[in-house]
Amino acid sequence: MADTVLVPFRWPAAWTDAKLISLFEGSPINCLVASGASPAVVGAAGKAGLTVLEWGSLDAAPLAKVNWNTAAPRIMLTDLVWPRVKLAAPGAGQAQSGPTGAPWIDSNSWVARLAAARASGKQVWLDFEPPKGEAPPDEGAYRVAIADAAATGARWVVQLDDQLSKALPSGNADALKTWRGILATLAFFEKQSAWRAYVHQGPLAIVSTFAGDNEYMGTELLNLAARNKMVYRIIDRSRVLSADLTGLRGVLWVDNDPPAAGIVARLAAFARGGGLLIVPATAAPLFKGERVLDCPVAGYELRAFGKGTVAAATREWDDPYFLALDAHNLVSRRYDPIRVFNGSSCWIHYSVAPDGKDSLIQLVGFTGGRSFRGGSGRLVDDVAIRIPARHRSVTVYTLDAAPVPLEPVTVDKQVEYHLPGFSNYIALEVKV
Amino acid sequence: MTTNIDRRSFLANAAGALAGAVLLPRAAKSQGAPASPVALSRCTSYGAEVLPALRKMFDQIGGIGSLVKGKTVAIKANMTGDPDIRAGFIPIERMTFTHPDVLGATVHLLSLAGASRIRILESPWKSAEPLEEYMILAGWEPNDFIRASTGAKVEFENTNFLGRGKQYHRFTVPKGGHLFPAYDLNHSYYDCDVFVSIGKMKEHATAGITLAIKNCFGNIPCTIYGDGAPQDEPGLVPRGGRNPIHAGNRQPPKSSPPEKDPASPRDAGYRIPRCIADIVAMRPVDLAIIDGIESMNNGENSGRPENYVKPHLLVAGRNVVCVDAVGAAAMGFDPMADRGHAPFERADSTLRLAEELGVGTRDLKRIEVAGAKIREVAFDFRMSRPNADGTPGGWPDRGAGQRGGRAPGQSAPGRGQGRG
Repeated sequence: MADTVLVPFRWPAAWTDAKLISLFEGSPINCLVASGASPAVVGAAGKAGLTVLEWGSLDAAPLAKVNWNTAAPRIMLTDLVWPRVKLAAPGAGQAQSGPTGAPWIDSNSWVARLAAARASGKQVWLDFEPPKGEAPPDEGAYRVAIADAAATGARWVVQLDDQLSKALPSGNADALKTWRGILATLAFFEKQSAWRAYVHQGPLAIVSTFAGDNEYMGTELLNLAARNKMVYRIIDRSRVLSADLTGLRGVLWVDNDPPAAGIVARLAAFARGGGLLIVPATAAPLFKGERVLDCPVAGYELRAFGKGTVAAATREWDDPYFLALDAHNLVSRRYDPIRVFNGSSCWIHYSVAPDGKDSLIQLVGFTGGRSFRGGSGRLVDDVAIRIPARHRSVTVYTLDAAPVPLEPVTVDKQVEYHLPGFSNYIALEVKV
Repeated sequence: MTTNIDRRSFLANAAGALAGAVLLPRAAKSQGAPASPVALSRCTSYGAEVLPALRKMFDQIGGIGSLVKGKTVAIKANMTGDPDIRAGFIPIERMTFTHPDVLGATVHLLSLAGASRIRILESPWKSAEPLEEYMILAGWEPNDFIRASTGAKVEFENTNFLGRGKQYHRFTVPKGGHLFPAYDLNHSYYDCDVFVSIGKMKEHATAGITLAIKNCFGNIPCTIYGDGAPQDEPGLVPRGGRNPIHAGNRQPPKSSPPEKDPASPRDAGYRIPRCIADIVAMRPVDLAIIDGIESMNNGENSGRPENYVKPHLLVAGRNVVCVDAVGAAAMGFDPMADRGHAPFERADSTLRLAEELGVGTRDLKRIEVAGAKIREVAFDFRMSRPNADGTPGGWPDRGAGQRGGRAPGQSAPGRGQGRG
C-alpha cells in the first residue's frame, strides 16, 4: 500500500483483544501506530489489510528536533497542542482572550504548514493526545482535532481519550457514536484527497529559519498572523533561492541575521520587479532604496526600490503579534484573497489548486462541541465571506451534508457569501 | 427611572415647546451656553438619498462655505469596535459605525464648499493600524472617500497614537475641566481649521447614548490614556484600550497631566461623561452630524444582544450640544434628563456636563430646529427594544406611530459582549 494513503490511528496499549480490529472494518483508518502490540493484534490487523507501524520506528520528534533530511516518507511531529479554544483554566468554562480580544485558539496548523514547507513532498503526521485531567473531548472536539490537521494537508494520528478507549471495546452506545463521528470525519477528508495537493497561498511570504535564535519570532509570527486572519506562504530560509515568488505582493524577512549575498540579490530582484520587501533594521543597509515614501505603518522607513518598495524597520521587532499586524498593513488587506466577517472563532485556510486556478477556503470552527464554554452542538453562524477575485461558482462542503452550491448575495453593493451555520468545519470550493 | 409614558409625554411637550422656540430669534436670548440652529431630516436609506439630504441640511444651518473654504477640515468618524464582527449578516456600518455613505457625502459637500484638505480621523479601538486598513477590514474601500472629493486632498489618520505627527498637542479644558485639566492628543486635532464630528445615533451601555459628543471619546490616544501605556512617556503604539478612563485604574504617563481628583469616583458612569465633555470643550466641534439612518439599540457593549433599528434620521448643526440635544429628543429621550433617568440611568448626562463647560445648550426651548419636526420623525429607541424573548418592543401599541425597526418576529442576531 502506498504510504501516501495511510490513515493512522494510535492503537491504545490497553487494547489487547485482537477482535477490536473489527472496529476498523469499512473505516478510512488503514494504519495502526502501536507500541509493542501483541502478535495476535498485529496478525489480525494484517488479515484486515491494516498496516502496523511501530511507534519507535517513526522518528517522532518536536518541530525543533526533526530530522528534515530523513529518508522516511513522512515527518512525525510531537509536542503539539490539543486544538481548541484556550480555557482560562481547565474546566473553567471561560475562554482566554488573545491580543485581539478574540478567543485564544490553540492550533497545530501553523506547525503542520511549516513542516510541509520544510519537507516538501513528505506526509506530515501530527501526534498529540486528548487533554487529561478534565472532561473528555466529545465528538465535536475530535472533529476539530482531525480538521485542524487535515486543513493543512497533514494527518492527525488519531488518539482516543482514556474514557473512550475503555468504553469503546464494551460497545457503549455513546462511545460508538463518538467513534462513528471520528471515522466519518476522517472519511470526509480522505474523500477530498485532491485538496491535499492544494498549495497554501497568500499575498505575503514569510521567510525565516524558524529555528535557533529565530525560532520564537518566526514561529509565533506564523501562529499570530494566522490568528489575525492573514493568509501567507511559508518559505524556509534554506529554500529562498529556489522558491517561487510568483504572485506575491510582499516578502517578509524575519531573521535579524542578514541574508547572504545570493539571497540579497534574489530579494532585491523581487522588490525591483514591483514587490514589497519588509526587513528588520539589521538588514536595511543591504537594501538601500531610493526616495523615501510616506509609510502608513509606524516603525518603518519605506523607500522606493525600482518598481517596488522596501520597508525597513526603524526599531527592533520584539513582539510577533505586532510584527504580524505590521506586515499585514504594509502589504495591505486590500490584497487579501478573502475577507471574512464573524470568523473570529475560526482558523481560516486558503489554498490554491496546483494549476493555480481553483481555490479552497477552509474554516475550522473551534466553538463547536464541548471545547468552548461547554456549548456542545453550538454552531458557528453568520459567517460571511467576500472573494474579490473573479470566479464562476462556489460549492460549500460540511462534515454532515452533501456539497451544495452556495449562491452569492449582494450587501451594500458588495457580493459576498453567507455561510450556513456549521459546528466544526466548512469548506468553500471556488471554481474560476 | 423615567417611564415610557414619561417619554411619550415628553415628546408631546417638546413639540409644544419647539413651536414656541422657533419664534425666538436665532441668537440665544438667555445667558449661559450658546445655542445654534440644528437641521433634522428624515432619510429612509443609505445611498443616493444621503447627499441631497445633507446638502439641504447644511443649507438649513446657514451653509458651510464660510466655515470651510480654503480650510483644512478634520472629520472624526465613529468606528468603534471590531470592524469585521457583525451582528448577524448586517454590516457594521448599518448598526455601529458611521456609514460610509454619510462620510462620503460629507467629504463631497465639504470639498464642494471649498475645503482645501480633508483629513478623516478615528482612533480605531486599541490599534495603531492605518485607518485605511481598518476601513478595508470593515469591507469599505477608502479610495471611495478620495473619489468623493471634488478637489480637496483627502487624507486618513489613526489618531490613537502619534501617527504622522512629531509630537502630541496639549489641549487645555476651559473652566479647568471635569476630569482632567488638559489632554494630549494626536496632532490632527490641532492641525485643522475646522473639526467635524460624525457620530452614530445609538444607545451605549455606559454613557447612555452615543451621538456626536460621545463620538469624540475616541479623540484621546490609547498610547497615553490606554492600558499598557508606559509610566513616563506615551507608548509608541497602543497596548490596550481606554480602561484607565473607564475605571480610573491608573494615571496617564507622567508626560501628560494627571486627572484633577484621583479621589473622585472610579465609576465609568461618572468618568466617561466628564471625559467626553472635557474633550468637546477643549477641541470644539465646528460641525456635528449624526447618522441615525440605521442603527442599533439595546445598548452598545451592554452585554445584551444589539438590536438593528432603522430610525431614518440625520441631524446636523454647528453646535455639538444642540445637535445632540435634538438627536437625543429624536431618540425619544429628554435631553434635560440627568442621572437616574433615561437614557442616563447609569451615567451622568454628557449633555449637561458639556453645557456646564459652556459648549452649548441642551435646552430645546433655545434651539431652533430646521427641517423635520422632532415629534413627527422621532424614533423611540427604548420602545423599539426587543423583549427578553427576542420579540420586538414592549408596548402594546408599538407600531402605531413607530417607523423602521424590525418586523415582528424578526429578532436581531446579537453580537454580545466583548467589543471595545
